[in-house]
Amino acid sequence: MALLLRTHYRLAKTAIKENRTRSFLTCLGIAIGVASIILILSLMGSISNLIKGEISEIGADLIVVRPASTKDTLTNIVEELTSANSFQKSNLVLDDVKAIKEVDNISAVAPIAISSNTISSEKNTLNSIQVLGTNLDFIKIESFPLRYGAFLTENNEENSVVLGHTLSLALFNTINSTVGKTVTIMGEKFMVVGVLDEIDKSINFDNIDFDNALIMNIATLDKITGSTQIQQINIKAANTDSLEIISKDIENALTNQKLGDKSFSVSYGDMITHPASSLFTIVSGMLATVAAISLVVGGIGVMNIMLVSVAERNHEIGVRKAVGASSRNILMQFLFESLILSLLGGLFGLILGYILAFLLSIVTPFAPYISWEIILITLLTTLVIGIIFGIYPALKAASKNPIDSLKHYR
Amino acid sequence: MDLGLFILSFLPRVRGKMSENILIELKGLTKRYGYGDTESFALKDFDLTIKRGEFIMIMGPSGCGKTTLLNIIGLLDRASRGEYILNGENVASISARRQAKLRAKKIGFVFQNFNLIEDLPIIENVALPLVYTGYTKTARLKNASSALKRFHLEEREYYLPYQLSGGQQQRVAIARAIVGDPEIILADEPTGNLDSRASHSVMEELKAIHEEGNTIIMVTHNPALTVYATRVINMLDGQIDTDIKTVADANLPQPISVKIKKRKKKGDLESLITTDAKKSRKRKKSRRKR
Repeated sequence: MALLLRTHYRLAKTAIKENRTRSFLTCLGIAIGVASIILILSLMGSISNLIKGEISEIGADLIVVRPASTKDTLTNIVEELTSANSFQKSNLVLDDVKAIKEVDNISAVAPIAISSNTISSEKNTLNSIQVLGTNLDFIKIESFPLRYGAFLTENNEENSVVLGHTLSLALFNTINSTVGKTVTIMGEKFMVVGVLDEIDKSINFDNIDFDNALIMNIATLDKITGSTQIQQINIKAANTDSLEIISKDIENALTNQKLGDKSFSVSYGDMITHPASSLFTIVSGMLATVAAISLVVGGIGVMNIMLVSVAERNHEIGVRKAVGASSRNILMQFLFESLILSLLGGLFGLILGYILAFLLSIVTPFAPYISWEIILITLLTTLVIGIIFGIYPALKAASKNPIDSLKHYR
Repeated sequence: MDLGLFILSFLPRVRGKMSENILIELKGLTKRYGYGDTESFALKDFDLTIKRGEFIMIMGPSGCGKTTLLNIIGLLDRASRGEYILNGENVASISARRQAKLRAKKIGFVFQNFNLIEDLPIIENVALPLVYTGYTKTARLKNASSALKRFHLEEREYYLPYQLSGGQQQRVAIARAIVGDPEIILADEPTGNLDSRASHSVMEELKAIHEEGNTIIMVTHNPALTVYATRVINMLDGQIDTDIKTVADANLPQPISVKIKKRKKKGDLESLITTDAKKSRKRKKSRRKR
């Protein structure tokens, strides 16, 4: 049996070699499908690596409290993407922050409230800018370097703001002389005390593009916008060993504070990245589906060429059957051919996909993400494609009547 | 029909005749094409008994069922009705897979139009039957090479079929037919496409093969070739017209050892009956599907 399989493999190799151009084009169909799937999976992997990397940068002592969604994730994400005011749905309030501060073994608690406002300087007026309300602990948890000036202090926190790098450029057309100037938000004037250094990481666990955001005191933000809900509370634990216990304590404290209302979630470690990752999972899942369609098209190409091959080799099938090939032998011969075609395509696609991913990494921050799971899944998929689209032509070949086939002399 | 009885009825008789060196037994073989108005018979209640070592020439006008007969004997085709007992085994009870195995091991085909695979060098064409009988590649090529040597084609092993003359191609085809050391050679007008010189050399090869104890059944249109045969059968309208033996049964060349072994021993007759019955039922079902 093993011997026969090797023979089938050899036959398939010869047949593919003999029709080089045809085989190459067929492989290309599979390769393009595989390459696009590889590209998407690689992108997705590198994005989730970026997010994870950020968590480890911040430290293993981070605990995050978020309002729990009542809706499922997809609806939530779609709404987040479409509506500017979607941030205004939280049920976390400033009192909750106070309650968390009471919990043991915590070194810093920073609420993050986000609203979208119009900001104007003496030069420009910008709409829909993310205004981030937080407290002084923020900088203890996220150690953003400042390009100029300083972060908010106890003395100036009520009438001062810190600008993101890009926002500073947009408002004042400069970054080095921004400190000391004033911006107007909802008719109130604030002084710029600091400008963040360029962060260049639009993906982070806060879901905020800090380069384009304005940071101010949360109480002030609450005052000028009327009602502000907190999107997220970042907590820095005093020690990293007992994150689980601390997060339990926080959960209990919050449940007490909110009189039994449990519509919030406390997460730490890898769980923090989950909401951000899930967006990419869904988006890349959709993209992968589209790519899978192209893989199916490639599979149809394999089937097409195999049908041609079966028709062309009708006489050969007749001869083989006459000299003792069983239908199963013929079936295997052609199935092997389609399998090797699609596997070759899969290999091409793998290489092509990673070349594309590498080229993409030159212009984007997403490094190619190579894992044996991706490679295995891809090769298995092409194997399955080879079988699914090869079985019909192979069956057709196997079911040929040798007497009729022998009459088809080329 | 009562299958058990049917099988029982022929089993003891088959055993009895084994000793008489019967290779092929056809009983009431009928092959029908078409139905109703278009119905026609290639073979009609055809009876024939072939012994080991016979060299049979079948002659007759076109359309009298010669090729159909050869295809049925060669397990490429099935009769519509009647029995075909090959080496004591009813072919109807042999699975398609084992029939293919038998074709590879016990039967060699030689065709009028050679039927070589155009894309394969002749050595691989000759080795083809061995692919399906479990030889390694080296063993296959070795056997094929020695078979080609026998036909003086050793210098053309890696030629492609179209690079050879008709006579050479037919010799390649005969080499392919004998490479697996089969017992039966079926030749369908092997000299039909050849000139008289090439025909002669091909016939000499067949004669040599026959003298080694192989059974040859050959269809031909050329009466001059009947000198090679031990038995000449004239067919007409799917039936035997005349049947002349030129060599007495006792003088037929015999193989040194009987190559085809009986699959089942007498002892497990019961199990044979049940499995045979099962198999024929299965086969009937599959035929109905077709």
